[in-house]
Amino acid sequence: MKTVPKVVNPVKRAGEQSPGKIYDEKLKVRARREWRGVKDTFYDYTRWLYLIFVLARFIVVPRNIKGFFRYRWMMSYLFVPHGMDKFTIGLRDEALRIAHTSFNFVIADVTQAIANCFRGDRRVGNDKAYSDKCVITDENSMVTFMMGFDTKKVHTILREVPTMFASNIFHQFNVMHYLDIAQQYGIPGDVCPMPEAEAGISIDDDFCVLGSCAVQNNTTCDGSLMGNGIIAKRLEREYGIPTFQLATPLRHKEPDVMEYAAREIKKAIAFVEEHTGEKWDWDVYFAAAKRVNDATRCRIAQMEINSTPYPQFFGAAFSLYNDTNYMGNSGRNADFVKIDHKLLKLAQRGYEAKRMYAKEYRHRCIVWGVQPQYVIDMLYWMVQCWGVMPLTDMLSVINTEMIAEVDTPENREQAYRDMAMLNMEMIMRNHTHGGYKVLVDELWELCEKMNADIVMMWEHMSCKALTGMHGQFEEQARERGIHIMWVSHDLCDPRVFTRQAIRDQVNNYMRTVMREEPLDPSLENIPDNEAY
Amino acid sequence: MRDLKHLITFENLLQTANNALVAQAKSDGKVCVAYTCENVPEPLLNLGDCCSIRLFAPHTGSMDIATYYMTNLLCEPSRALLERAIEGGFNFADCVITPDGCTMMNRAVENMELLHTMGEGNPHFFHEYMEIAFKNTESDVALAVLQCTNHVLKPLHENYGVDVSDAAIREAVERHNKVCRLIREIGEFRKGDKPRITGYEFHVLCLATYVCPKYLILDMLEETLEELKTREPDDKPYRARLLVVGSEMDDPGMIKLIEEQGALVCCDRFCFGSYPGRCEIVLNDEEDALTQVCRHYITNCQCPRMMSMDKVYGRKQYVADLAREYKADGIIYQQVKFCDPWAYERTLGSAMLHADFGYPVLSVDRPYNIASSSGQMRTRVQAFVESIEIKKIQRGEQA
Amino acid sequence: MKKLLKLPLYLLLAALGFFVVTFTIYFFNLDMKATSLLAPWLEKWYDHLERKQYI
Repeated sequence: MKTVPKVVNPVKRAGEQSPGKIYDEKLKVRARREWRGVKDTFYDYTRWLYLIFVLARFIVVPRNIKGFFRYRWMMSYLFVPHGMDKFTIGLRDEALRIAHTSFNFVIADVTQAIANCFRGDRRVGNDKAYSDKCVITDENSMVTFMMGFDTKKVHTILREVPTMFASNIFHQFNVMHYLDIAQQYGIPGDVCPMPEAEAGISIDDDFCVLGSCAVQNNTTCDGSLMGNGIIAKRLEREYGIPTFQLATPLRHKEPDVMEYAAREIKKAIAFVEEHTGEKWDWDVYFAAAKRVNDATRCRIAQMEINSTPYPQFFGAAFSLYNDTNYMGNSGRNADFVKIDHKLLKLAQRGYEAKRMYAKEYRHRCIVWGVQPQYVIDMLYWMVQCWGVMPLTDMLSVINTEMIAEVDTPENREQAYRDMAMLNMEMIMRNHTHGGYKVLVDELWELCEKMNADIVMMWEHMSCKALTGMHGQFEEQARERGIHIMWVSHDLCDPRVFTRQAIRDQVNNYMRTVMREEPLDPSLENIPDNEAY
Repeated sequence: MRDLKHLITFENLLQTANNALVAQAKSDGKVCVAYTCENVPEPLLNLGDCCSIRLFAPHTGSMDIATYYMTNLLCEPSRALLERAIEGGFNFADCVITPDGCTMMNRAVENMELLHTMGEGNPHFFHEYMEIAFKNTESDVALAVLQCTNHVLKPLHENYGVDVSDAAIREAVERHNKVCRLIREIGEFRKGDKPRITGYEFHVLCLATYVCPKYLILDMLEETLEELKTREPDDKPYRARLLVVGSEMDDPGMIKLIEEQGALVCCDRFCFGSYPGRCEIVLNDEEDALTQVCRHYITNCQCPRMMSMDKVYGRKQYVADLAREYKADGIIYQQVKFCDPWAYERTLGSAMLHADFGYPVLSVDRPYNIASSSGQMRTRVQAFVESIEIKKIQRGEQA
Repeated sequence: MKKLLKLPLYLLLAALGFFVVTFTIYFFNLDMKATSLLAPWLEKWYDHLERKQYI
């Protein structure tokens, strides 16, 4: 089997040595926050203050209070600081700053998204003029077709992000209610719980109602495609909001689907123009395209740092920041550029100082598959507890090609193909769809490129595209001498696999197959199954 | 009713995918084009000396090896097909053409390819994967034309020298239509108050047209049609006339089970059924045949993976229209377990057909091979039939 | 004038008080502990809201 040299941290970690002690099974939150030494604790405290400020600034607006008491998913809003603590377990120095910089920005962005939802929501803010300039989009959707609309004039509302996705990260039980509703109405329990929960939210009438129109997508999976019909029916028939289904070819590596995909992008743009009354602006588009390329370059640079023995930007923050920037932003918000560069600078500084975030790195790991949202701290846990360093996750392995960024007549045609390419190569589906090569073969290429000796395979039990290749992964990993550690979960339903049940799969593999002892035994069992 | 003369022959043909007629087609020098989804335009797989064989795995028992490769979370048909392929049950195939219609079936075929389950000793053997349309627009037709050209016509021509000209396509469509006309005419006998054919018998005949070389069953189908014209129907009344809608069903045992409860399956709207799979393709002379065939498949497609809302609503309307035409008392929405597209379609369809169209609906999931677990299904169908009877009594009609 | 001179001192004391209070809340996770007490009540609130549930 392949092995990699162990890297030992010559520096003793400042502050707490065993963060596992801060969990208490009697409480549904941590007993206290982590002591990270004076400098890093103070830094963490200031970021906590900032977070409280962001949250307070949001909630003092009367319509937001009204929205808070109307929508069940808003309960997770209260647990944002708790969620933030999950992103920083055991972190110090640059990695701590990277996690805060990236994720505080994402939180501010999502908070703004909620504020926008409430402003236009017919039940809450009911600002009709604003709502008429809003376009609802899927949560799992590239918003490339909005890149050429001025963000001050047309507002992209990813209403499923705070409702379902973020909600589950901050409060692990918050989505269960919607799953129960969906199943009560007949949707089986074996489909992917993410679109199922979204359908449940629609059935429960717990989505904000706003927008002049909605654009849906088939980007993730069969379940996601099918859940759209239920949501669109309510939007169209009850609320009179027209929907457009943006078809995105599945076999995205085949050149013969490109023209169709580009035509679909054109249709989506025309649909938005028709319903918002705003026109596509090529200046706005190419400015956004430049930012997309800039983000791509930064991401490639981050991946290069992670290919070295001293990765800096890793774990959930890396994954979720990339998701938000690549998919939910797609170059539209200029603020992401500043953050991208700040993060890169921090990572470069950490790399130069050879910073490490555990006592030792025993294994270099590629994380493949789809991560469960309610165990978002898992990858930090893995490196702290077992010295398994997650170099990258599947969702962060996305486009590396540059798109046309100069406004010329030819590039205006190319732009549709670029948008189509990005749309087809959305996070996750660029690997889970398009044939086995992008799922299986590309994994081994990545292992080679990043010098990984182990693959942590998230086996999301309802993700049929991934589990359908289970045997191939097993056999091919064996042939290549790469360890493959299966970790089953059900994405956002903690009743199927609890947090500890998920961690135990790693514990068992490391003890029985790798015959290793944990770096930090206090983390092996954490009493947080009942915690939010 | 007296048994249909060829019923037992058809039943025997459905005992295995590699049946006697497939073997005969091979010895006749035909190119056996295996496929797995109703979204592939069937006439294109029957060009010249080609004959299409839709893969199925009757009498599936253990699926252990396929379950190792794909886990027990994937739908049973996809695992059953992989298992059968690994066992060598599809060795007759000269190529496999599959669309990326649903993920699970696509993964099944990819595993078949990676495990080299077929094509041993055949240098011309190939696997092709197609993108298929999502909506009912001319842009989707253009996509389908390109996909059929690149992934059906080109490889068939290059590997087996198949004539893929417009004339050849028209000729294949005509042969396809002949089968469709026969099946539809036979199906008409289910409409009367005293039907001359049961749902089970019809499903056996219809299924055979998918899994057998069509040219070898034409005579038997024609003879069956003639026989039905004079067949004396049973005098017994059926407790309820049911329309069965849903996912992939290649197991006549399921229809038999429903009819054993005293119901008549008067119409079928499922994958491997006659609606829309056995609707004639009408061609004009103004446009090339390939485009027209693709448009037919897109316009008539009732697969839930068609995502535009006109299709979403249209599918329910289509079911309601069939129910009215065939005078159905109720509708069974069935879904093979773990099928994602039909999980949602069944939920929405059963709700809409009840709420918007007023039909009693039974919404069930089922195993691939109904014989493996028939008790629960029997109870549910029984209860459904009884509930329809009670409603009839309450309305003052004769049960 | 005397009062004005004492202003920086008051500000310093206020800042110190703010730091001591907020840091105590921060370190002992009092914000989240309070929230977790509130959550069951909120759940009941959301449960009792009338909703137009249908598919």
